[in-house]
Amino acid sequence: MVQFQALDRTFSALSDATRRDILERLGRGPASISELARPSGMSLTGLKKHVKTLEAAGLVTTEKVGRTRTCRLAPGHLDDAMQWIAVHRRRWQRRLDGLAAYVEQTRGGTG
Amino acid sequence: MSYELTVERLIEAPAEVVFDAFTDPAAQRVWMRDRDDPGAILETECDLRVGGAWVIAWGPSRDRLYRETNVFQVVDRPRRLAMTTTSTTPDGDRLDTTTEVTFQEQDGKTRMTVVQRGFPTAEVRDYFASTAWANVLEALDGFVRGKEQPA
Repeated sequence: MVQFQALDRTFSALSDATRRDILERLGRGPASISELARPSGMSLTGLKKHVKTLEAAGLVTTEKVGRTRTCRLAPGHLDDAMQWIAVHRRRWQRRLDGLAAYVEQTRGGTG
Repeated sequence: MSYELTVERLIEAPAEVVFDAFTDPAAQRVWMRDRDDPGAILETECDLRVGGAWVIAWGPSRDRLYRETNVFQVVDRPRRLAMTTTSTTPDGDRLDTTTEVTFQEQDGKTRMTVVQRGFPTAEVRDYFASTAWANVLEALDGFVRGKEQPA
């Protein structure tokens, strides 16, 4: 029964697009509540609520130092998915860097 | 349940120039080459039309190739491309996603945005495989047996 409750929490935590965005962002490294709130345009109170849900599901851990609460992915969770994403992100970054260099050199060379 | 990634890059050229370099196989053979490993294998063929495929293979040797097959769903030169993406590794791992590429021109420069969607959440998938479904099947098994042999 305990396991089913854990599954329910994981699912309900992942069922929300904002919370998936938070996890995706944390896959790139730890972030403060205000750093997480900035791109979504969400209030700090609203964002804290989402982080609390993720924390209860064991997907995220938070630590308060001074006035800043730092959030990070809980170890062992979502690692595989994040690795896939990291590999593909690097792949696209390299491609777009190569494309930019190619286009800018070609145009620079011809006028 | 899935994740997506977004990569952005500002390129100092108009959208048509960027779009054409992105989709022209001869140009791809230049800009996709790994500058850190220029001797690596790189093959790319691009059939730029809806339903056409952009097939890329790369890797250190013939028997260790990564492959990516993109099938175009939307071709809107020079603004937008949408494609289904199948990626495989030399070890046989396969990943199906969708990729959308947009080219926004502003002041003679182009902001390129790549959004790749549909990365599975392995944690949830593994949870189902290892724990959740096992529990469900066990419970179901117990339920069925209970019906067959009422205590």
